[in-house]
Amino acid sequence: MLETIKLSKTFKEKKAVDEIDMYLDEGESVGLLGPNGAGKSTTISMISSLLKPSSGDVKLNGLSTIKNPSEIRKVLGVVPQEIALYEELSAYENLKFFGKIYKVKKDILEERIQEVLEMVGLKERQKELVKTFSGGMKRRVNIAAALLHKPKILILDEPTVGIDPQSRNHILETVKKLNEETGMTILYTSHYMEEVEQLCNRVYIMDHGRVVASGSKQELLSILSTEDTIQVQLSKKSDALLEAIKGMAAVRQVEDTNHGIRVISKKGSNILADLVHAAENVGTQITHFQMEDPSLEDVFLHLTGKTLRD
Amino acid sequence: MGSFLKKDLLIFWRDRKEVLIALLLPIVLIVVLNTALSGMFSKDGDSIDIQVGIVEEDQALEGFEQFAESLNNLGIDEAEKEAILSQASSINPSEMLNSFFNNPEIKQVLTTRVVSEAEALELVEEGELHAFVIIPEEFTYKVLSSIILGEEVDVALSIQAEEQSTELSTLQNMMNDFIESINLEFALGSIAEGENQEPKLPQGGIEVIEGVETFSFTQYITIAMSTLFALFMAQTLAVKTVTEKRERVFNRIILTGSNPFHYLMGKTLSTFILSWLQIMFTITITQLLFDVFPDKSLEFWLGLLLVITAFALTVAGLTALFTSITLNVTDTNAASGILTLVIMSIAVVGGNFTPIQILPTFLQRIGEWTPNGMSLTVLLEWIQLSNPGNLVIPIVILLGYFLVFLVLGMAIFPGRGRN
Repeated sequence: MLETIKLSKTFKEKKAVDEIDMYLDEGESVGLLGPNGAGKSTTISMISSLLKPSSGDVKLNGLSTIKNPSEIRKVLGVVPQEIALYEELSAYENLKFFGKIYKVKKDILEERIQEVLEMVGLKERQKELVKTFSGGMKRRVNIAAALLHKPKILILDEPTVGIDPQSRNHILETVKKLNEETGMTILYTSHYMEEVEQLCNRVYIMDHGRVVASGSKQELLSILSTEDTIQVQLSKKSDALLEAIKGMAAVRQVEDTNHGIRVISKKGSNILADLVHAAENVGTQITHFQMEDPSLEDVFLHLTGKTLRD
Repeated sequence: MGSFLKKDLLIFWRDRKEVLIALLLPIVLIVVLNTALSGMFSKDGDSIDIQVGIVEEDQALEGFEQFAESLNNLGIDEAEKEAILSQASSINPSEMLNSFFNNPEIKQVLTTRVVSEAEALELVEEGELHAFVIIPEEFTYKVLSSIILGEEVDVALSIQAEEQSTELSTLQNMMNDFIESINLEFALGSIAEGENQEPKLPQGGIEVIEGVETFSFTQYITIAMSTLFALFMAQTLAVKTVTEKRERVFNRIILTGSNPFHYLMGKTLSTFILSWLQIMFTITITQLLFDVFPDKSLEFWLGLLLVITAFALTVAGLTALFTSITLNVTDTNAASGILTLVIMSIAVVGGNFTPIQILPTFLQRIGEWTPNGMSLTVLLEWIQLSNPGNLVIPIVILLGYFLVFLVLGMAIFPGRGRN
């Protein structure tokens, strides 16, 4: 349905997006993961026709949208990271304005406004000015405004940043419903791995402007199928222990966590005894350990060398 | 386009601070400045005392005789000659001029004395006289020949002065009005008599001084503040675009596939409506408070309305241009700064802070061509002269500005949002 072909964007000397190939099939829910500065928002801006690519193409049903963006705009709903609403207008007035300029027919506009307000759970507060809303409520109206024209593809750029858990859950439920009940194609970017895991069938992982991995959750997890993840808790933390573990041949990655350390090692290397010895040698003790199944977070760490919040 | 217009008007209306500033601040400033600074201006014409010398080189009686003799050479019969002479005897150009100077209303502002040219020159040099009017030799004969016989003659009243002054400008305008009224009188007489040729009182040779400050300070400050705050309205509406851009609302608008022209026209029309209402509100309230334009005719108010409408359109055009500039500049704070700089610059040279006449000549020339300067000048002239002919060209130019600004704004509007 929608694909990018070697999509690139260079700002002055800096390559923000570097030859990205992505696709979205109809009805899919696809996640786009990446740390800050990975190029996610730039990619979304190019896909949604707000930003002209330096090279490459964006195709909708096989037709390039670069020279003629109007086609993609008709079928696209974009929820930007920022609250793109008029604060001095009420939720209803905002939706009415955007509905009109989306050319939603006059006779169904009212009904459509009430539908999207119902969807985001703000029907009762539609007459209030947006500036009086909480961050979560604003984000919900932000989503509602992108749904007025019943888009076939919905792009959400970190729609849950900085909001309360209740609004966050509401947004996630809404997106899930849109995808499952109306068949709307979703492209969802987030810092939150669990959101992407919950919502998306497939994931693209971006870093430094490039797609470093893609696939379904299982496909991505299989990247770590040759590794074991061990979560270790210690009686006291020790830098010397970290160094000692890094020096072990079977160990691929060591991460200092809040509760101890996380060790990723070659699958079946059985390094537990070595870890206990190493701890004793530096004057600490292992109080608890757990073999973990790898998560997408582990995959992300493995691929980019940093966590999503970095 | 209606959606954009409604949205812009609603957003402006919801910002109560902005509304109060737009409506009340000009009035407050007019009240304060009028109270504090009105003494700086000569208040209306009645405080002016213009000292004028009359240098009479014409001999009216000899001129009449010379005219009578000239009739002999025309080969007309006695009856017709008698009729012409009878008509000529009722016209005494020098006497008409004297009557004009001795008119009680004119005497309130004009003091005349008959002097020789040498004396006049000396008195002007000493500052005793502001100017002197020379009634040249054969003035009576030539005026009669021109009016009655329609002959081409070379004669002119001339005004001479040492230097440019308000008094001199006022005198020139009074003389122009006198000559125009005489021409009109003879033209009407001519039509009544069924003649084809329109008689003309010869004129010319008057020292050319433009711009007469016979308006009051209250009138000046009312118009200056009204037009100044209308300019600010252009900035206010354009700066809303900065907010729309910063908060990504503009991107959302682009994504709806709306015609950029509709967006721009929404801004343009809302500015037109708001600036027009703002000027009218300011003028209406100051009129009620100070009776700024006393005893003015309906024609005067209609002329004022026309100029204000044309100016409000120009301001709207400026908003279109400012909006496009704002959208093209990456740094929104820089965009806001540029707009302020432009507005303040044209406000200064256009005479919104001080009368344009006190600026250096080159700035005056520039200022007269700014939309606000042009509107201010034409409205002040309208207050003094109420000559509808004076309104036409400035209004056409203001409408031209509107179109140019709008077209420029459309030309540089950042298309589909891609960059």
